[in-house]
Amino acid sequence: MRRLSVTAVSVLQALANGHEYGFDVIDATGLPSGTVYPALSRLERDGYVRSAWEDERRAHREARPARRNYRVTAAGSKVLSESLRYYRTLLPVGVPRKSEA
Amino acid sequence: MTITPFAALRLCGAILRLASAIVPADLRRIWRLEWDAETRYEAMRLAERGARGMRPHVRLVWRCLGAFAHAVWLRCDRWRIDMWLQDVKYALRSLMHRRGFAGIAVLTLALGIGANAAIYSAVRAVVLRPLPFPEPERLVQLFSTTVQSPDRASGTASPPDFTDWRRESRSFTDLAAVNAGTYAMTGVGAAEQVPGAAVTGGFFTVFAVAPLHGRTLLPEDDGAGPMSVVLGHGLWVRRFGSDPSVVGRSMMLDSTPYRIVGVMPRGFAYPLSSELWVPQRFTTSDLTTQRGAHYLDVVGRLRLGVPMQQARDEMSAIVATLRAAYPDSNRDQRVAVHELRAAMVGDVRPALFLLLGAVGVVLLIVCVNLANLILTRALARNREVAVRCALGASRFRLVRGLMVESALLALAGGAGGLLVAYWASLAIAAAPPAVGIPLLGDTRIDWSVVAFTIAVSLATAVLVGLLPAWHTSSFADVATRIREESNTTSGLGQRQRVRAVLIVAETALAVVLLVGAGLLLRSFVKLSLVDLGFDAARVQTMSLSLPDAAYPQPVDRAELVERLLARISALPDVEAAGAVFGLPLTDFRFVISMSTLDGRRLPSEEQMARSLQVRVVTPDYFRAMGIPIVRGRALTASDRRGAAAAVVINEAASRLLWADDSAIGHEFTLGTRMGQGGVNAGGTVVGVARDVRDFGPGQPVRPTVFLSHAQFPMGFMTFVVKARGDAARTIAPVRALVQELDGDLPTFQVRSMEQLVADAVAQPRAYLFLLALFAGMAVLLAALGIYGVLMHVVAQRTREIGIRLALGAERGTVIRDVVTHAGFLAGAGLAVGLVLAVATTRLIGGLLFQIDRYDAATYAVVSGSLFVVALVASYVPARRAARIDPVRALRYE
Repeated sequence: MRRLSVTAVSVLQALANGHEYGFDVIDATGLPSGTVYPALSRLERDGYVRSAWEDERRAHREARPARRNYRVTAAGSKVLSESLRYYRTLLPVGVPRKSEA
Repeated sequence: MTITPFAALRLCGAILRLASAIVPADLRRIWRLEWDAETRYEAMRLAERGARGMRPHVRLVWRCLGAFAHAVWLRCDRWRIDMWLQDVKYALRSLMHRRGFAGIAVLTLALGIGANAAIYSAVRAVVLRPLPFPEPERLVQLFSTTVQSPDRASGTASPPDFTDWRRESRSFTDLAAVNAGTYAMTGVGAAEQVPGAAVTGGFFTVFAVAPLHGRTLLPEDDGAGPMSVVLGHGLWVRRFGSDPSVVGRSMMLDSTPYRIVGVMPRGFAYPLSSELWVPQRFTTSDLTTQRGAHYLDVVGRLRLGVPMQQARDEMSAIVATLRAAYPDSNRDQRVAVHELRAAMVGDVRPALFLLLGAVGVVLLIVCVNLANLILTRALARNREVAVRCALGASRFRLVRGLMVESALLALAGGAGGLLVAYWASLAIAAAPPAVGIPLLGDTRIDWSVVAFTIAVSLATAVLVGLLPAWHTSSFADVATRIREESNTTSGLGQRQRVRAVLIVAETALAVVLLVGAGLLLRSFVKLSLVDLGFDAARVQTMSLSLPDAAYPQPVDRAELVERLLARISALPDVEAAGAVFGLPLTDFRFVISMSTLDGRRLPSEEQMARSLQVRVVTPDYFRAMGIPIVRGRALTASDRRGAAAAVVINEAASRLLWADDSAIGHEFTLGTRMGQGGVNAGGTVVGVARDVRDFGPGQPVRPTVFLSHAQFPMGFMTFVVKARGDAARTIAPVRALVQELDGDLPTFQVRSMEQLVADAVAQPRAYLFLLALFAGMAVLLAALGIYGVLMHVVAQRTREIGIRLALGAERGTVIRDVVTHAGFLAGAGLAVGLVLAVATTRLIGGLLFQIDRYDAATYAVVSGSLFVVALVASYVPARRAARIDPVRALRYE
C-alpha cells in the first residue's frame, strides 16, 4: 500500500471536503501556497487528483478569469482512506481523539 | 509605507511573471492562467469583504510568492531522477554491448588520470602540503650570500655573524643555528652513525613543536655543563624500544656522554633525516676569531604580523652594519631570507610543475583519443539518434544521454586511476634519496589527491564527451541524417574533418612531449659522457668518524688511519687503498681563502679571489681513485708530520694561481689553522693532479688543494679501496679490521664509487625517465588514433575502393592513398607540434646540459620517428584496403 505524507493527506482531505480550488485548499488546510500547489501537482501526476477548468460563462458573469478546480479520483479516495487509517493507528490507545474530547 | 489592493495585484503579477520563467515551457501557459485566476479571485473577495489595512494584501503577495516553489517543483519534476537513472541504465547497457571499447577506454583513462594523480601527489608532498610544524608559513631560513648572487637560497653563516643577527633582529620570535652532522652512537647495542644536528637553544622555540616525552633543548644547554640530547621518534623506537623512561638516561655520542632529556614526536625532522639534536656550543674563540668560518644554517620564525619584506629589510640593514664593522671578512656579504619550504625544496619546484604539465598533456591526448573513438562509435548510432530526434527528443536530452556515457567511463577511469596513483605514489615515496628531491618520501594519497582525481575525472568526462555528444546530436536536418545513414559513402566529410582535426591535435601534443624527452635524452647522454676525472670501477668507499674524546690528539687520528690503511692494503683482494677528507660527488664543500702566496701576505680581496676547495688525503688516495698526477709527484709517505708541508693541487688551481704551468715548487698557506700545533694549512706544491668534477658532471671543476693527512690529520675520513675484483667483497674484511682496531667505531656511508656516479645523475635520470614515459604513452596514443581513423576511412570507402579496383586500379595505388592519408595527418600534426615545441621548450631550458633547446638533430629525429610511427600505424588499414574484394564490396553495398 502506498502511504501519503501528512501534507498530501491534508490536501486530499480538503479536496474531499469540497474545497476544490487551490487557494481554497490553502485556506482550509492552513498550509502555505508553496506547499499546497506542489502537493496538488504531485497528486495529479500520481493520478489521485484530476483537474478541470470551471465553466467560463460563470467566471465571465463574475468578471474574473476561470479557475482551475481539483477533484479527488477513485484511486485518490482509496489511498486517502488507507492513509487516514494508518495515521489513526499511530494514535495511542485510550487517548480520546480531539473530536471526542 | 502602505500597500493598496491595486499595488498588491501588480506586485503579484510581477512575481508570477518572474516565476513563470522557471516553469517548463509546455506547462507555462496553463500554470500562469491558474495562478492569475486565483490571485484575481482572491483580490475580488478582499474587495467584496471590504478588507482594510495592509495585512490582507501582504498575505496575498506572500501567497503569490509560493508560485516560485511551485515553479521549481515543476521544473525538478521534469528532471526527475528516474530520467537520469534511465540515462545511466541506457549508458551502462550500451557500454556492456561494447565491452572491448569500454575496457580500453577505462584502462587508458585509468592510466592517464592515475599518472596525473601520482605526479600531483608528489607535487603536493614537495611543494603544496604545509610543513608539519605550527604556522609553517612563518618559518624562514636565512642565508649568508654574496654581492654576486644576493638572493640565492644557499650560503651558511659564521658563529659571530649568527650571534649578531640574533641579537640585532626584531622581526623574529627567535633565530636558531643548525649544524647538521652525524654522530657515532655507542653503548646502546651495536655502534651506529646517526644523522643529527647541533642546534642553538632557540631551535625548538622556532619550530614550536612540543616534545613527546621530557623536554627540548633550552638556551641553558648551550652553556657549560653536561651535554644533553633530544632523540627523534624513529631513533627512539628503533634503538630504545619506545621506552618513555629513556629520558634521564645517558648515552655515548662520539665517545662523549650525553644525557637524554627528551623525545620528539613522530614526523619531526629538521634538517630532514635528523634523528637526534644536541646543543651547539660556541667557544669564545669561535665567537671572536671565526667570522670567516661559514658552516651554520640559520632558521627563524617571523613575529606575528611581520611581513617577509620587513624581515628582509631589517636583515639587510644589520648585514650592512656588519660589512662596515668587519670589512676583512664581510666585505661582499649580503643576506637572503626565504620561506623555509622554498628553501628546503630549492630548485626542483619548476621541474615538478613541468612534469605535472607533461602528464596533463598525456591526459589531454587520452581525452582526444577517446573522444575520437566515441565519435566513431557515435557515427554508427546515427539512425538511433535520428529517430530519437524525429520522435521529439530535445538536443539537451540527447547530449545528456551521451554525456552520461562518457561520465561513467571517466568515473570508472578515475577509480582505476586512484589505484594506479596509489601504486605509483608508493614507488615515488620509495625513490632513493639520490634523486635529490626533498620531502619526496612524504608522497601519499590524501584527501587532496582524491579531490584532485575526482575533479580531473569530471573534467575528463566533459572533455571526452562534449564534442562527440554535441556533434552526434546536431539534428538541424533530420532528413539529411537519415539519408546519410542509408548512404555510407556520402555526407561524411564534416565528421571525417572533425576526426582528422582531433588526430592532428593529439599528434601535435605528442610531438611536444617527444621533443622535450628527446632534448632531455640528448642532455642526459652528454652528462653521462662527461669525464669525471677519476676511475670509479671497482672502487669501494666507507666513512669513519674518529671522536675527539677518544682521539684527542691529531697524531692519534693520523696513526689510526695509517695503521688501518696498512692492514687494508695487505688484504688479498685490495689493489690500492687510500683515505680522503672530502670524497668527490658527496657535495662536500670546504672552501678556505688563501692567506699567503710564496711568502707574501695577500690583500683581503685577493685572499677571497684565490679561495681553494680543501681536501686531505693519504698517499695512495690518487692511485686508488685512478686520478693521474700530471706534473710533479703525488703525496708520499715521506710527507709526514715533522717534514716540510707538501701539497698537491689540481689543474684548475694551477691555472688560477700560476697561469704559466709553473706551479711546482711554489708555496702558499690558507686562512685556517689545521693539524698538529694548529699551523696554517698549506705548503709547497709538489704535484698537480688531474681535474676531478667533485660536484657532479654538470658542475664546473673547482680549484682544489690536497693536503697530506699525516701533516693535517682529520677526524672524519672516507676510505677508498680499489679492489682487484668485486668491490663489494672488500666491505666485510675492512669492517672487521676497523672493529679489531676500535670496536666502538662504526663504519658508515658504505657506497661504491660507481653507485655515487650513478647517484650524481639520478635526478636528471628520473626526469628523463618520467618525461620519456609520458612521451612514449603520447606517441602510442597518437599512433592508435591514426590507426583508428584510417581503419574507419577504409571501412567507409569500401565501396569506392571496390569500384576503383573493379575498374582496374592498381592495389599499390590504393595502398599509396591510405599511406598518404596517414602521412598527411602525421605531417599536419608534426607541423603544429614543432611550432608548439619551439614555443614551450624554454620550460625545460633549466634541465638541459650542453644542449640547445632548438637542437636541430633532436627535432629531425622526432620528425622522422613520428613519420615512421604514422607509416607503421597505416600498415594494417592499407593492407585491408588493398585486399578489398570488388565483388564483395559491391554486393555488400
